[in-house]
Amino acid sequence: MSLLREAERCVANQYAHNFNAFITPLSRTGSWQDRVREADARREEGNPKSPVDGRLISIKDNICTRELPTTCASKILDKFTSPFNATVVDQLEAAGAIVAGKTNLDEFGMGSNSINSHFGPVRNPRRDSSGEDVSAGGSSGGSAASVAADQCFASIGTDTGGSVRLPAAYTGTVGFKPSYGLISRWGVVAYANSLDTVGIIGKTAGNVRDIFNILNLHDQRDPTSLSIPSRSRIQAAIESPQLASRLNSAPLRIGVPKEYNVSELTSSVRRAWALSLAHLKKQGHTVHSVSLPDTKHALSTYYVLGPAEASSNLAKFDGVRYGSRAEGPDGDGKPDGYLYSNTRGQGFGQEVKRRIVLGTFTLSAGEFDNYFIQAQRVRRLVQQDFNAVFAAKHPLEVEHTDKLIREHDVDVIICPTAPSSPSRLKDLMSKSADKSPLDPYVGDVFTVPASLAGLPAISVPVTVPGEEGAELAGIQVIGQYGDDQLVLKVGEMLEGKSFD
Amino acid sequence: MLRSLGSGTLRSLCIRRNRSLPRAFSSATRYLEPPAADRVPDRVPLRKQLKQEAKALRSHKRQRKETAEASKEEWELTVGVEIHAQLDTETKLFSRASTSTSDVPNSNLALFDLAFPGSQPVFQAAILLPAIRAALALNCEIQPVSRFDRKHYFYQDQPSGYQITQYYEPFARNGYVDLYDYDGIAPEDGERVRINIKQVQLEQDTAKSQEYSPTTQLLDFNRVSHPLIEIITMPQIHTPETAAACVRKLQAIVLSCGAVTTGMELGGLRADVNVSVRRRGEAPGEHQYDGISGLGQRTEIKNLSSFKAVEDAIIAEKNRQIEVLESGGVIEGETRGWAIGSSETRRLRGKEGSVDYRYMPDPDIPPLIIGEDLLSSLKDTLPTAPDALLTLLVGSEFNLPIEDAKPLIELDNGARLEYYHDVVDILRSLQVDQDDKTRASLLRVASNWVLHELGGLVAKHDRAWDTEIVPARSLAHLIDQLQRNLITGPTAKLVLATIFDGDRRPVPQLLEEENLLLRPLSREEYVALAESVIAMNPQMVEQIRSKNQLGKLGWFVGQMMRTGEKGRVEAPKAEQILRELILS
Repeated sequence: MSLLREAERCVANQYAHNFNAFITPLSRTGSWQDRVREADARREEGNPKSPVDGRLISIKDNICTRELPTTCASKILDKFTSPFNATVVDQLEAAGAIVAGKTNLDEFGMGSNSINSHFGPVRNPRRDSSGEDVSAGGSSGGSAASVAADQCFASIGTDTGGSVRLPAAYTGTVGFKPSYGLISRWGVVAYANSLDTVGIIGKTAGNVRDIFNILNLHDQRDPTSLSIPSRSRIQAAIESPQLASRLNSAPLRIGVPKEYNVSELTSSVRRAWALSLAHLKKQGHTVHSVSLPDTKHALSTYYVLGPAEASSNLAKFDGVRYGSRAEGPDGDGKPDGYLYSNTRGQGFGQEVKRRIVLGTFTLSAGEFDNYFIQAQRVRRLVQQDFNAVFAAKHPLEVEHTDKLIREHDVDVIICPTAPSSPSRLKDLMSKSADKSPLDPYVGDVFTVPASLAGLPAISVPVTVPGEEGAELAGIQVIGQYGDDQLVLKVGEMLEGKSFD
Repeated sequence: MLRSLGSGTLRSLCIRRNRSLPRAFSSATRYLEPPAADRVPDRVPLRKQLKQEAKALRSHKRQRKETAEASKEEWELTVGVEIHAQLDTETKLFSRASTSTSDVPNSNLALFDLAFPGSQPVFQAAILLPAIRAALALNCEIQPVSRFDRKHYFYQDQPSGYQITQYYEPFARNGYVDLYDYDGIAPEDGERVRINIKQVQLEQDTAKSQEYSPTTQLLDFNRVSHPLIEIITMPQIHTPETAAACVRKLQAIVLSCGAVTTGMELGGLRADVNVSVRRRGEAPGEHQYDGISGLGQRTEIKNLSSFKAVEDAIIAEKNRQIEVLESGGVIEGETRGWAIGSSETRRLRGKEGSVDYRYMPDPDIPPLIIGEDLLSSLKDTLPTAPDALLTLLVGSEFNLPIEDAKPLIELDNGARLEYYHDVVDILRSLQVDQDDKTRASLLRVASNWVLHELGGLVAKHDRAWDTEIVPARSLAHLIDQLQRNLITGPTAKLVLATIFDGDRRPVPQLLEEENLLLRPLSREEYVALAESVIAMNPQMVEQIRSKNQLGKLGWFVGQMMRTGEKGRVEAPKAEQILRELILS
């Protein structure tokens, strides 16, 4: 099939199936068609610019694009178009890819179900066995849905605490969060800078790897982008004989963290986890129980640090220089009234306000030590937990350079991406008294630890027999910092497996 | 740097507070103008009115001084100072946008300076050079690792909703500044007082806002993120004079080391002061600031933009606090403002409404690591400190009076001193044939010409200082001729003015061509000249003789110089002849 044909089919799907995956879809016709035709010509000559030359890649709407609006699914930016492209957008376009539109999300990336959007909730292209609409996961739910519904070739999302992996698990796609600092965040609207990473959602780990290889470059505009010398150190560690063999001959040592075996796991997820491990064992790899004792604090740590940074990052939205502004004098008109309270009060949704208030509280002078500082300490413990079980040492922590690998430790960790299947949209959207707005936070329990530690992690779909036919589950592979290629490879071994 | 930012982006903004004139304004002039009811309706002679007003002002000042003396005995004042100074840098703190202040509003901006979503800070390492120079000049310990924090508050001049500063880990700590009697400290501080500097930190400046209508502010973001240093002293100052001297000295130091180019008068430097009082001889106060305990509750006065404002605001705030305490009240920890020309500080923010800045380490900006190599090269190239220069100039070699040495150092950002040294160097080479005593006196003579004669011309014509107005070589030659008695003082002044007006002939040629070289008068010629002026003013001669009014001799010297041939009458000789003729 020609690239043009494929692209036109994707765009047709954007208009035919309304999962509300896009805030701004690609126009049906436009100059993109000429660009795809040129890519077709290059492909025929055997000279494509890259593996994604002429492919449509959708972009989460918290990533800046010069040609299309960037709303962050917020009313406060509902008509905002950025004056510049994010680095990842420039990189993809230079590789011949076409921006396939801007995908829906939880406002500013805050949510686990993509229902906190000024533009309405995203619907998962898959329904549950009763035919009910279910959550596409969040916050990159639009990105995952657009891939699952064949509305694009792949999608670029962001992952702060699981925002790419969770939607991938819920929609049956592959979602990859690279090591922190590998992909540029220039042009990515910050939610929580120290956790934010650009993530990739695709049909296969192979597609994801192709895109990752294009984006994995130093960017001097992003102060948190890993420097070239640091990249060389990682590369040198990975190419050392002990570590290089893992990708070729040697069987892998696979870790199973006992703390992840929680009572909230549904039976189908537990089954998918066990069968995945059994499958890998059959391939000759070995499975080992490991302990990550601080896991139980990871979720609360995340919900202290994320909102703290968010409350700071979102202070810039005041309607003065860009974005939407409330009518009339801003503030309540009283001498000691609060500046911008109208603009911000009207512009932000409930969940964003909740996290701003939460973050403002934990940063306040009286609470800072108890919450923010304490959470930073726990974050360090979570990182140390991972370092203690991975055979490969953290390549940027220099103190023990005697050897790069330890016996008895593991190469990757395998666990579920989410404790359960996606919830029904109508249950999520109803306001019943017995529900807390904090309930969805539990969905992030398995994804948050890798985010806190900055580790690469991938979610791949597997299916297992369930009570009402085959059930889908996301299996997560977590690796040591910088071990992104190994994580992608192990993800590839499991993706799409259907276990009986 | 930002193409899409057209004029439409600059929006008006309605601000939160209802504007009302500060109360202080209404009472500011009460001593100069009697209340309306007391005023005689019309026809008070202006001169009389002015006299009365001046008298009232004097009596007010005297009264104020008396009150101050009384309260000084009973109350101890404690003041700490915070200075914000714009660093002399090409770029902003976190972007490559220019810091130029002369461009059209909102033209020097990068995306990050306007807090555009998705933009990120990139620390500009070159701004460290002036910052470290200032910290070294203030005797600080430069920290090998420092960090940036966000200070949160909403205001229209702050685009990101926070200011990036160094709250938890500043780049310089534990410095000091020495204030001497010649710096204008209070007499009770003696010859010298040392004020410790707690820390120096890097931070961003804010935008400029200008009121356009009562509900509209115009915003110019060119100044946003201009690199600033904030210098924080310990609360160790106990008089308003010393506080003003401290601010003046801090400004002189950061200017002289080349860290800063504009002082308070051009808005390049602003001061905040914190003020507390406690009754002497009572139990120590309950408050502790920067490790100094036993103090009273302090208040902060923000944004003082002149040395006088620093002094006046502290006096007013001290008096206010004493008044509150003496009438049984309690001082609130609050932020206060000061309007130029007012007599009392004005409450801006109370404690209940006080801002919690929610300082948070900036998650995007890596730690700032300053290497020993950079430090040592900056230490080597640091210009001599003003105090060391002053010691040199008033010392045995130059022997200048302190009132000349200080302006030489402070004027024109050091350029005047450099010029003076040029003049002295050339003059020394011209006078190698002279004896040691004459040569030693050159230094003082040159200072006089540079500061007073040339300085007077510059001031009179309101010219900006420029070393080429009168080239150092020309002035040196002029002084040389004068020293050798080849021209008279008035001639030298005349020639200086000629050169000042643009005459570029070499001095010897100019003197030759204009026939200005001194041809000394003979004794007979002096006597004839003196007799002629004496003959015309016999009654004055009588006054000198009978009442010994020797001061009037000078008048006769003037007459001789005026009636004599231009440039030939030498005043000392004229006076000598006059004394002979009149007194003997």
